[in-house]
Amino acid sequence: MSRIKFEISNLNLHYGTTQALKDVKVDLPENSVTAFIGPSGCGKSTFLRCLNRMNDFIPGCRVDGRVLLEGTDIYAPETDVIALRRRVGMVFQKPNPFPASIYDNVAYGPRLHGTTARARLDEIVMQSLEGAALWGEVRDKLHSPATALSGGQQQRLCIARAIAVEPEVLLMDEPTSALDPMSTARIEELVRELKTKYTVIIVTHNMQQAARISDLTAFFLLGEMVETGPTQDIFTSPVDRRTEDYITGRFG
Amino acid sequence: MTELNVRKTQDEALNRIREQLLKLGNLAQDAIRKAVWALEKQDEALSREVLEGDDVLDELASGIEEGCLLFTARYQPVAQDLRTISAINRMAIDLERIGDLGVSIAKITRFFFGKTLIKPLIDIPRMAAIVEEMIDGTMRAFINRDAEEAKKVCALDDMLDDLDRQIFNELLLLMIENPRVIEQATQLVLVSRALERAGDHTTNLAEKTIYMVTGKHVKASEFRRKREE
Repeated sequence: MSRIKFEISNLNLHYGTTQALKDVKVDLPENSVTAFIGPSGCGKSTFLRCLNRMNDFIPGCRVDGRVLLEGTDIYAPETDVIALRRRVGMVFQKPNPFPASIYDNVAYGPRLHGTTARARLDEIVMQSLEGAALWGEVRDKLHSPATALSGGQQQRLCIARAIAVEPEVLLMDEPTSALDPMSTARIEELVRELKTKYTVIIVTHNMQQAARISDLTAFFLLGEMVETGPTQDIFTSPVDRRTEDYITGRFG
Repeated sequence: MTELNVRKTQDEALNRIREQLLKLGNLAQDAIRKAVWALEKQDEALSREVLEGDDVLDELASGIEEGCLLFTARYQPVAQDLRTISAINRMAIDLERIGDLGVSIAKITRFFFGKTLIKPLIDIPRMAAIVEEMIDGTMRAFINRDAEEAKKVCALDDMLDDLDRQIFNELLLLMIENPRVIEQATQLVLVSRALERAGDHTTNLAEKTIYMVTGKHVKASEFRRKREE
């Protein structure tokens, strides 16, 4: 039985007067891949951003409810949000490498958190790039610009950057929607390996991707979490009619 | 411009395959009906029809299998669609087997031409009628997505087993009393067994239909009389 990494209950989110999340309740297991699916504007990315308080950056955004990370409420006033974002890393839809070398991209986070010894940084950079299945392709050009890499490589670099600070959770917001099929397949394979070390939460538009790589799937609609369950159950016999209609393409 | 139905092409493809399965059901039913009728009436032409019709049946079954594969590759179905395609694929196989059993019966029938039947056929046609009813029932259950109807079909298999056993006992007695009838009697036992196996394939059809509708894997024995081991 998997341990629960995140326990969310009574989560409501408002952007000003608009309610974007309604009474969301879910447990996210450790060392699993959980997929959030749902039509555009349903709240899945908003919910993802709640898990590392990225919504704090949005003016007028108000969060009510409990988000417990291993039993501790991340919205409690005394929370160290910087430390939180180290534990809960994020990878975005469009790869966003810093305008710096590959090495400096990966070393940025560890440096920021106090690691300065060159040997140690070298080790972290290598391990992170290995963990992101990118090491072999860039080992001889670590000091060349990250922006010269292909889209798929840049995205793997962003994953390396995220894992360089040894997070516990990886949040991925449609990480492959800007990539070609081959790069997508590589990243999906990578996600399967990553879950042995991290807890992965992934927002995806691609139904088949969710079916392929996730253990648990949660379906969002109009700010509500309609149904959640083991991925193979959701995709063979969903309980809620709305889930069935969405995944079979009757609306979207 | 009127609203685009995003599922139009997919739904049409699925409906086409569904209709093909119904057609295959009809062909399998025909094979059984004609083969037993040919035996009853000693109708040589009818038995030949069954033998020749088997190619059409096999081709249709292959076409359905192909269609299911293509549908899967094109549309990557999930949930209800996935269960439906999976059920249709499996059901085509069982219907093809029923067609084959019709051929077996037709071949046995040809053995009897020109001979006097050792006894009037009563129970064998009765078995055939039950098999036809079972196929009817499952095709109805399939097209109406009716799991309850499918379960009822499973219960009919008990009647088939009873008749099969009855026929065997009766023929056994005849063979003991008069060894000269052994040749014919054994052929009739084979016909009876073929019909009993057709019934088993039909309960497979029912099981797949129940899976398609409910998502649960069931065994036909759950809806039948409890058997003593």
